[in-house]
Amino acid sequence: MIDKLKLVSHVDAINWNKIEDEKDVEVWNRLVNNFWLPEKIPLSNDVQSWNTLTPVEQQLTMRVFTGLTLLDTIQGTVGAVSLIPDAITPHEEAVYTNIAFMESVHAKSYSSIFSTLASTKEIDEAFRWSTENVNLQKKASIVMEYYQGDDPLKRKVASTLLESFLFYSGFYLPMYWSSRAKLTNTADLIRLIIRDEAVHGYYIGYKFQKGLERVSQERRDEIKDYTFNLMFELYENEIQYTQDLYDEVGLTEDVKKFLHYNANKALMNLGYEPMFPKSVTDVNPAILSALSPNADENHDFFSGSGSSYVIGKAVNTEDSDWDF
Amino acid sequence: MKSTPLSSPVGAEMDYHSLNAMLNLYGPNGEIQFDKDREAAREYFLQHVNQNTVFFHSLRERLDYLVEKEYYEQAVLDMYSFEFITKLNDLAYEKKFRFQTFLGAFKYYTSYTLKTFDGKRYLERFEDRVVMTALGLAQGDEKLAVSLVEEIIAGRFQPATPTFLNSGKAQRGELVSCFLLRIEDNMESISRAINSSLQLSKRGGGVALLLTNIRESGAPIKQIENQSSGIIPVMKLLEDSFSYANQLGARQGAGAVYLHAHHPDIMRFLDTKRENADEKIRIKTLSLGVVVPDITFELAKKDEDMYLFSPYDVERVYGVPFADISVSEKYHEMVDDPRIKKSKMKARDFFQTLAEIQFESGYPYIMFEDTVNAANPIKGRINMSNLCSEILQVATPTTYNEDLSYDKIGKDISCNLGSMNIALSMDSPDFGHTVETAIRGLNSVSEQSHISSVRSIEDGNDKSHAIGLGQMNLHGYLARERIYYGSEEGIDFTNIYFYTVVFHALRASNKLAIERGRAFDGFEDSTYASGAFFDKYTDQAWTPATPRVSELFETSGVAIPTQADWAELKASVMEHGIYNQNLQAVPPTGSISYINNSTSSIHPIASKIEIRKEGKLGRVYYPAPFLTNDNLDYYQDAYEIGAEKIIDTYAAATQHVDQGLSLTLFFKDTATTRDINKAQIYAWRKGIKTIYYIRLRQLALEGTEVDNCVSCML
Repeated sequence: MIDKLKLVSHVDAINWNKIEDEKDVEVWNRLVNNFWLPEKIPLSNDVQSWNTLTPVEQQLTMRVFTGLTLLDTIQGTVGAVSLIPDAITPHEEAVYTNIAFMESVHAKSYSSIFSTLASTKEIDEAFRWSTENVNLQKKASIVMEYYQGDDPLKRKVASTLLESFLFYSGFYLPMYWSSRAKLTNTADLIRLIIRDEAVHGYYIGYKFQKGLERVSQERRDEIKDYTFNLMFELYENEIQYTQDLYDEVGLTEDVKKFLHYNANKALMNLGYEPMFPKSVTDVNPAILSALSPNADENHDFFSGSGSSYVIGKAVNTEDSDWDF
Repeated sequence: MKSTPLSSPVGAEMDYHSLNAMLNLYGPNGEIQFDKDREAAREYFLQHVNQNTVFFHSLRERLDYLVEKEYYEQAVLDMYSFEFITKLNDLAYEKKFRFQTFLGAFKYYTSYTLKTFDGKRYLERFEDRVVMTALGLAQGDEKLAVSLVEEIIAGRFQPATPTFLNSGKAQRGELVSCFLLRIEDNMESISRAINSSLQLSKRGGGVALLLTNIRESGAPIKQIENQSSGIIPVMKLLEDSFSYANQLGARQGAGAVYLHAHHPDIMRFLDTKRENADEKIRIKTLSLGVVVPDITFELAKKDEDMYLFSPYDVERVYGVPFADISVSEKYHEMVDDPRIKKSKMKARDFFQTLAEIQFESGYPYIMFEDTVNAANPIKGRINMSNLCSEILQVATPTTYNEDLSYDKIGKDISCNLGSMNIALSMDSPDFGHTVETAIRGLNSVSEQSHISSVRSIEDGNDKSHAIGLGQMNLHGYLARERIYYGSEEGIDFTNIYFYTVVFHALRASNKLAIERGRAFDGFEDSTYASGAFFDKYTDQAWTPATPRVSELFETSGVAIPTQADWAELKASVMEHGIYNQNLQAVPPTGSISYINNSTSSIHPIASKIEIRKEGKLGRVYYPAPFLTNDNLDYYQDAYEIGAEKIIDTYAAATQHVDQGLSLTLFFKDTATTRDINKAQIYAWRKGIKTIYYIRLRQLALEGTEVDNCVSCML
């Protein structure tokens, strides 16, 4: 049975005019500027392209997205929320609430993709697959377990590995499709999710490192050990999961390299050295280039809104601006 | 249809896509890997194009086959002897054309070249497409056909997508790029507009529609108050129409709508693009444009309210549709007129909201109404622009009978475009001839176009033969000559270049009028006929202000027209007229600048290595033309260059262009709405006619970026 989630025991009114860690404000602003909803992407423009995929490719895509839905659901309803009681500053708590909400937006986004592209029957089948796939379920239960543990640093490790590593076996596919001119609007949406997850993983990893500064060397060694063990455990499972998904289309080897690349990235976010040597992280350049979270794509008006826009800062004009 | 054989095999090792993507990743010594892109282009031909191109033993066999199978239009070939076609074909192949980039080749074969009906094999190479385009446009004129082949294959002139894509094909869409339709304040006109949008999208053009005349939400219908639901439902209908009509699945229809800033629904109109807009009112794919008169700026300057006027009442008071009124001129009169229902808001709030929405969505486009009309040489009023905000022409309303037939057919707008490559045109052996060939090519499209399903467009085209000669590769040229975009020399060059183009364009159209024995309809009421248009060219000398620009023109052998040249041209125009009501419009040039290896339009580059994403291409990487690891300095991107220098460059060109120029402004994400507003004020003061997109670049948070990525670096 799941234990009751711990809540923060005491709350003071949050004062944004008294900042203890500038990073909280920086990340908060970034997240707020990056706010988006799936409705802004014209997913229905992908219907034609969807119909050019083979049944196997369609099934793969559906499965990948149900897997991502599960992870985002965990992260939205448990993961980010479970980090709140561990927060060091009140502003950090606020950032987690934002992260939690956006994870729920992400989880809902996949449903938007499903309902646009597939029939109810196909959607139900994909969800059934996700509940029956041993490796996906194992991935979920490993992470859930650590969220329920009572070690704040370990929770952050689990969360960072999820945000920066576990998502990417799924993210590979839409990036691959878009480099092949397939499902490009779906890829726009996924790139918005990647844009968010990149910040989440970075921030939680940063907070982890801050936490690590306050503990003894012995404890640090323990945590490092723990991190690499967890990484191995997740990695073993992720390899199995990747094979389940990608063997049929022959992309498994390429996805594995991508996993290595992101595992290193996740460890970096936590402040650790990379685990995989360069020789096994040579990701397909088409995927790596597509991953850039910068919003600098150039697109025409026939091809959707892209992922370039952000909510702007409104500032009144002054009289001097109108001096003509 | 399942996975087409034209797509590359899943999981192929280091295929051309991967090679191309390496452009965006620095090499081992921190250098941009241009060679990988060339390798990608080569592999694309070896792995894909050559294997999928149908082989013919001879030109005769090829043409016979293509005509017999209804790929080529017999009538186009019948205008020429086979000997001539052979000669033209040889001429094209002698030039040894090669695509400079992977994207150029990929774009051409994906989107332009003739394919077998099952879409599996290619029936043309680039040279064949050029020859067919030239044959189609020259209408039997051998000399013109030769000139067109020479100009297009050398890359000096490139017809716009619809022309280059469709010419000579038997199964094809229209050759025209772009349409503009008025909508009047009645149900007949609204439903006709939807019908016309479907028809025009089906034929392959972007359509812009004017919403300004439509009564606001809450306006009376049949004198009963609070009945009209305003413009939003009309926008919804249009949006759905455009996504339904796609040219044989080739691309989505695309549409834009323009609304006057003083229309009461203006805020609702803008809110359709809000990030958190309700589904019922959210507009996803329709582009928005706002028409802003001078008075709005003046009200904002004084920090006053701006009144919004009911189009329903205005039309009743003045007897003409709202869009045919100059709001600047009648503003105070309308404010004081109790018969006109009005609402108000702070003028500065309007501008700020405009900027907020631009931050979130890039929209709306802006047309500075009074600037546009003051610069218009043609009689009548311009009250809207188009999907790329470069077409600016006069239109008049159409009226309908009760059975929906036409009562009086007004004039709507179509425009066909083509662009010159500035760098290669400066290298032209005969610059005037290059311009003239381009004008004749564009004119031919106009003469061959008959959109009978939309009579107001067909009539408008027959009367005006409006065309839009554009320019591209300005930044590429300047960088090649080691001049910074937006520098004194850069602006000086832009001014003298466009000054030279307008002379040759007018001269070519004047020649056409002499040959055809007539001018465009309404010439006699234009400032061309009165001669006033020429004053600024005959009253003062236009010469380069910097030695570097003088030197560029001298070494290129491009003669700069003198006052005497202008006086002579003026006399001839006043006597014989010009054949084309409009001559120039500078489009944003997406696709064709990739094929042509140009920088887009007269913009600065968006990035040294540009990431291009399109439905049919996917995500592809494009190196700026003439860029090497040695001249990176001259390729500052638009975000570094900043709004002011872009506006200065456009202002220098604008004074010589009768229509508009697509002007996108680029901001870093540290900008605020105030920065955008300041740029808009500056643009308006400098005489800019329209602003196209606002683009923002958000850099990845430090620590989250992809290592080694070229487009991620500043």
